[in-house]
Amino acid sequence: MRFLIVDDSSTMRRIIINTLNKLGYKDFYEAANGREGVDRLAAAPVDMVITDWNMPEMSGIDFIRAVRANAATKTLPVLMVTTNAAEDDIKEALRAGVNNYVVKPFTPDTIKEKIQAALKA
Amino acid sequence: MTIPAELLSNLMTSTEEVFETMVFKPLVRLPSADGEAAQKGTNVVATVAFAGHRRGLVAIHSSIDAARNIACAMLGIPEAEINGEIPDAMGEVANMVAGTFRNKLAAVEPASAIAVPTVTIGSDFSTKYLSAVRRARCPFEMEGMPIAVELILTGEEAA
Repeated sequence: MRFLIVDDSSTMRRIIINTLNKLGYKDFYEAANGREGVDRLAAAPVDMVITDWNMPEMSGIDFIRAVRANAATKTLPVLMVTTNAAEDDIKEALRAGVNNYVVKPFTPDTIKEKIQAALKA
Repeated sequence: MTIPAELLSNLMTSTEEVFETMVFKPLVRLPSADGEAAQKGTNVVATVAFAGHRRGLVAIHSSIDAARNIACAMLGIPEAEINGEIPDAMGEVANMVAGTFRNKLAAVEPASAIAVPTVTIGSDFSTKYLSAVRRARCPFEMEGMPIAVELILTGEEAA
């Protein structure tokens, strides 16, 4: 299973990859913002996207809208990992098309549970 | 005018949650101090601004040794392999602390938005603010190393 990790923080990308490694996943692409994420998806398919919200150039919300607007990726499972946890934030993310939502700070168990839920959705 | 105790309590709890969950290092609380407290030994300051119902900054202060220790723990790498990761790691810590603090406040009042982090690394410096602000510093110890989280409130609320 191949993941695309979209986050402007290289530290957070590494943390997510370390967490996924512990869960047995080994195949990753990385992007530093939504624009790079769109380009990455156009270049090669992935099985799931994990994206931050607050990023320069193209935010996670705009990235998800772009993913859903593209016929090739409109059903791709998308997990958002962010510090934005107000009720309105979650509603906005769901409207944009996320399958599931993880609030930072998170534990490996939370990521595992949300990945499984997003894959079932 | 001092910063309300419940705000500082939320900030300290947010900081402890981030360090326990993402840095894997528990913090020990030390007595808080109001105002422009001494910043001895600070080499790294990671700051995140927030605006909306409240305006201000959350700042994490640490020594370079503590910052290196934090980056290694977060990334799961030995100190010898650290190569430029400290600013990004400390920025992410500040982002998570400010975000968690903001989420706790959003449960009881209108939400504020947070900005992207800014990280300053150097020696023999202190942070000052030109406008009227209220400041409070909450010191911790992490494995014997000092860490502090500071709350700075600006605007009318701070006057």
